[in-house]
Amino acid sequence: MTCPRCLGREANVNHEGREGETVVWRILHCLACSFSWRDSEPASAVDPAVRDADFRVDASKAELFPIVLPPSRR
Amino acid sequence: MNVPVPNIGADLASRARGVSSLRDFLELLGEQGQAIEWRERVMPEPDIRNIAVAASRDVNGAPAILFDNIVGYPGKKTVVGVHGSWNNIATLLGQPKGTTIREMFFDIAGRWGRKGAQMSRVPAGQAPVHECRIEKDINLYDLLPVYRINEYDGGFYLAKASVASRDPLDPGNFGKQNVGIYRLQLHGPDRFTLMTIPSHDMGRQIMAAERENVPFKIAVMLGNHPGLALFAATPIGYDESEYDYASAMMGAPIRLTESGDGIDILADSEIVIEAELQLGERVIEGPFGEFPGSYSGVRRAPVFKVTAVSHRRDPIFENIYIGRGWTEHDTLIGLNTSAPIYAQLRESFPEVTAVNALYQHGMTGIIAVRNRMAGFAKSVALRALGTPHGIMYLKNLIMVDADVDPFDLNQVMWALSTRTRADDIMVLPNMAMVPIDPAAAVPGKGHHLIIDATSFMPPDPVGEAHLVTPPSGREIEALSKRILEMQNGKVA
Repeated sequence: MTCPRCLGREANVNHEGREGETVVWRILHCLACSFSWRDSEPASAVDPAVRDADFRVDASKAELFPIVLPPSRR
Repeated sequence: MNVPVPNIGADLASRARGVSSLRDFLELLGEQGQAIEWRERVMPEPDIRNIAVAASRDVNGAPAILFDNIVGYPGKKTVVGVHGSWNNIATLLGQPKGTTIREMFFDIAGRWGRKGAQMSRVPAGQAPVHECRIEKDINLYDLLPVYRINEYDGGFYLAKASVASRDPLDPGNFGKQNVGIYRLQLHGPDRFTLMTIPSHDMGRQIMAAERENVPFKIAVMLGNHPGLALFAATPIGYDESEYDYASAMMGAPIRLTESGDGIDILADSEIVIEAELQLGERVIEGPFGEFPGSYSGVRRAPVFKVTAVSHRRDPIFENIYIGRGWTEHDTLIGLNTSAPIYAQLRESFPEVTAVNALYQHGMTGIIAVRNRMAGFAKSVALRALGTPHGIMYLKNLIMVDADVDPFDLNQVMWALSTRTRADDIMVLPNMAMVPIDPAAAVPGKGHHLIIDATSFMPPDPVGEAHLVTPPSGREIEALSKRILEMQNGKVA
């Protein structure tokens, strides 16, 4: 359940794709960086060992990610 | 026996006006050879993306592609490429396949406006979109055969959703209802982020709701009347209704009904997701492969919680491939980006004869103008930068004379070659820019460029060489057509 993008260890299973009774893939959602993936995707997208490191995200540094429409302070 | 000769042109136009849903349009596209069904088994990734990209290589002729045999999504359907080629846009406009981009531009420019809009109201209980209703245990992943559009997208996107909302501070005002296409990233079975910016109508409404601490509800329409998708992506005035524009420009009534959360929606959409803004909450969003052909950054975006879903029986999930062009995004928004700039410019400068802003949502535009005096085209260019779309999007502007067709890039290159001097450019530094422009100085701010490729006029002392005037007109057009027919073996 390691996140392919941030290597976080906690992810939810959001959905299981089935053919009859057989689970053919699962969709997972990383609780740290919000990445979603399907475990049947090509390795280049979901295997951290071969995934392009340029697209890695460090979820501990949220301040790096600009806020869209900063919420108003009341 | 007299056999009536069918008027093919009139028939196409009336068929297009008769379209009131995605299903109607897919049927019409199918009859025109512009839609196919992909029955072979496909993986959500990478097969659907690969097929969509392969189709969009043919910008003139690509068909819409309906998938109904997707691994893990038994019985589910998704369609891509509905607006994915000029032939599909021509079909929507009621024009024959092969209609030129220039002809379609003038068709849309001639229809521009909201005069004659007709709304018909369908009671919610009779609206096809409400045939099936889910209010508990909502799982969008179970309903929608989503797939990763580009390899490094941050998740699964609904990239062709028309999102309807009421002004949170003036909810009874029809005109202030907004319909726009915003990218939505799923963040769980019943949550999604919505990407917008403060200058978009949606951004304005979210900020107002959060400032006043009032609820903000939206209705996400998927699989819509193809005329709405064409015009919901178009910048119009805040208090103007996209539904009015879609109806007026299609020359046909738009059927509206009400969503469960009180918003006017299309009665014949395939799927409508009702959702509520989680006030003040932001979630990591992106990246997403965007229309400049590069990935957007990762940001923290507003998040919505799904409260209900309505859908037709056996719904079709419509999505888009977007990325490095050409893609469906370019054919979907190219002409309706060009037409309002043309209309707005002509209010001040009737000398403008055509606007081609097809490239990357207008990041490069070509404007044809009849020069009133030397240097006039530069003033027209500056006015273009002041139009609602021009402020951020028109980054590179090429000005050509009225004798140059801005839709014919060979002619544009001729003008650049023969009518541009190195000091005929203007660089306007540090202006507003599209935040996802990879060439921006900083996201949202950068330089605009005007290239004046119009001819020299007095008092300019440098004259143009005497122009060759090749034969033109109907006789030449007829000859071109005859040559093509001879080549195709239709004429002995």
